[in-house]
Amino acid sequence: MSASLSRAINVLKKVIDAPIASYLNSCVHCGLCAEACLFYTETHDPKYTPIHKLEPLRRLYRQEYTLIGRLLKAIGLAKPITDAELEEWKELVYNSCTMCGRCSLVCPVGNDIVYMVRRLREGMAIAGHAPQGMITVTKRAIETGSPMGIKLPALKFQLSQIKAETGIEIPLDQEGAEYMLLLSSMEVINFPEFITAVAKIMRQAGKTWTLCSEAFEATNSGIQIGVSEIAEEIVSRIVDGAEKLRVKTVISPECGHAFTALRWEGPNLIGRPYRFKVRHILEVLDEFREQGILKTSGPEDARMTFHDPCQIVRMGGVIEPQRRLMQMVAKDFVEMPDSGKYNWCCGGGGGVSANEDAKELQLIAFQRKKEQLEAVKAERLVTACANCRIVLEEGMERYRMDVPLVGLTELIADHLVEANNVGGTG
Amino acid sequence: MANHGVELLDQLASQGVSRRSFLKYCAALASLMALPPAAGRAFAKALVSAPRPSVIWLSFQECTGCTESLTRSHAPTLEGLLFNSISLDYHHTLQAAAGADAESARQEAVQKNWGKFLLVVDGSVPMKDGGVYSTIAGVSNYDLLMETAKGAAAVIAVGTCAAFGGLPGARPNPTGSVSISSLVHDKPVINLSGCPPIPAVMTGVLAQYLAFGTLPELDSLGRPKAFYADTIHDRCYRRPFYDQGKFAKTFDDEGARQGWCLFELGCKGPVTHNACATTKWNDSTSFPIESGHGCLGCSEPGFWDAGSFYRALSQSANPLQHAKGALVAGAVVGGAMAVTNRGFKMMAAHVHAPSNVADLEK
Repeated sequence: MSASLSRAINVLKKVIDAPIASYLNSCVHCGLCAEACLFYTETHDPKYTPIHKLEPLRRLYRQEYTLIGRLLKAIGLAKPITDAELEEWKELVYNSCTMCGRCSLVCPVGNDIVYMVRRLREGMAIAGHAPQGMITVTKRAIETGSPMGIKLPALKFQLSQIKAETGIEIPLDQEGAEYMLLLSSMEVINFPEFITAVAKIMRQAGKTWTLCSEAFEATNSGIQIGVSEIAEEIVSRIVDGAEKLRVKTVISPECGHAFTALRWEGPNLIGRPYRFKVRHILEVLDEFREQGILKTSGPEDARMTFHDPCQIVRMGGVIEPQRRLMQMVAKDFVEMPDSGKYNWCCGGGGGVSANEDAKELQLIAFQRKKEQLEAVKAERLVTACANCRIVLEEGMERYRMDVPLVGLTELIADHLVEANNVGGTG
Repeated sequence: MANHGVELLDQLASQGVSRRSFLKYCAALASLMALPPAAGRAFAKALVSAPRPSVIWLSFQECTGCTESLTRSHAPTLEGLLFNSISLDYHHTLQAAAGADAESARQEAVQKNWGKFLLVVDGSVPMKDGGVYSTIAGVSNYDLLMETAKGAAAVIAVGTCAAFGGLPGARPNPTGSVSISSLVHDKPVINLSGCPPIPAVMTGVLAQYLAFGTLPELDSLGRPKAFYADTIHDRCYRRPFYDQGKFAKTFDDEGARQGWCLFELGCKGPVTHNACATTKWNDSTSFPIESGHGCLGCSEPGFWDAGSFYRALSQSANPLQHAKGALVAGAVVGGAMAVTNRGFKMMAAHVHAPSNVADLEK
């Protein structure tokens, strides 16, 4: 057994906890999770049945933690876990799982399958069986602070660009601000409009906010690849930054897994509660709407639909705010079939979009989203996750679909009553 | 021994039994045998007026317990008086005559009542080694039985020894004892089993024969159905406790004091056909179960060889009897698994060196 494999098995032994033991014991092999997984529905290959993706974990659990399994292992009847097997399972654990959580949602016995995939990735990553693309991204996140290698000077450059274009000064490192905004690298590089949009909204609402030069990156590659220590380090940077600036609320940007990582996994990773609140930008906007400090004008006539990012909606619990916000700006807002918590993944979550090996499968899986979009015939597609945006654009390009795509925060910002009256400081 | 000249009623009166008591007895006997009420009067009439049939009583390998039971259990009884009133022409124990006189009396009675007398037998017949293990006046029991049975109207085998072999026939049966019914095939044989049999059973059969000239309907073992159709268990006053699953576990536990079912203490009531639970014993005073001991099953064939009197017929259905043990064993195994699993997990956590990005590449 190689050193990395024995480390991996040790990690898996460590991560198997009471919930996993009960999940593995309660699976009734009904196969409902297969029908809930877009990699199965689009390929009809039974190997993509979600619970099957956990086979190495299940075997290890049996061999290490059950009486019969241990007896069988003692007399040599247990099939040991090998490097070759983990390598074979790489495709199932990383390429064909976006950790969208739809399988966990439909499981009739309540097994949190995605929780187990996340734990299996811990062992896979340590054994060196994570996809190369994700390894690169994770290394970059640790070494440079951002998975795309965006360092502070790059952000500062973007902020100065914004100021030059719109005249808005984006606050940086303002201690005691009410809100601290996080960004995903994708937003810094591809969608800087998002920053401008938040600035406009905050100005209208009259709220103080800031970016943090030490912790502006929201994404968490450690969660994606499955190494708790790395995930913890990335979360700690944000916690340190937020607590240093003594902000009341940290805003997770339009990024799916960043929200889950910070809002739900974070306190468990660092082992203590935060001294600040974590809200998704959609939740903040909805609060402003409720308080009457988010004023929009002229709902559009265009037929619009909303793509629910899995991590924000199904995994994150933010379901209604985006619908109320859509009603503010769209006269003809239509829901896709299976919307809300039953929405289908874009196909690129959970690190899949960063994984070159998975590109083809990702595009096959996109057919599920294509079908949904075709069903509603929307003129405009709105979402709230930068990664979803990239994946949706790739997919629509592949299948020659032409639906303009926009982030909800930007859409709201475009409809602010004072939208034309920009200038001054935020 | 014969009192032909004396009216039965007078005789009874002389012993303190009124006519009324006698009629009540006849009615009770009729109802005991499940005959119609009118049969009681027929009994009374027949018993008073009919010429008393001759009865010859032969005792073979027996203990005289049957005779004790039937004639002297307590005095004066109507049963006892009834015996006195039949023409008991030969009975080893009861007759005054002895030696050659006794034997000639028997021969005389047999000749005189050829084809009409009732032959009552108690005790089993030894067959081994030419029947030498029990002889009377130099004649083996077998020869005596076969010779006498030829002239009898019917043979009544009284007691379990005569009916089924009984104690002499119990393993290893050194004398080769057999029952009467296995030897006499050309006459009706009525088995009145029991060790001893109930007196009313004897008198009931005699009364029916006297009143109607018929013999009772018999079950597959040759026993009168009137007395042997039900099991002791069917008629037992403790039956409700059995149905509720309340069993005495020892002879001195709370269940025993509460009068619960004795099944688990080896009571053979469920497989024993007899009338003890209804007629009871000692002038209807009690019967074994009522005095706190299980039925031994004495009226059934081979009861001596059926194992301990105190072994239950079967294990009572109690699927949860080991539940506590199973629970404890499960908890111990589960607890041990939990402790070792926790140990394994903690060891895994202990040897786990923090991962960093360098670990990601193989």
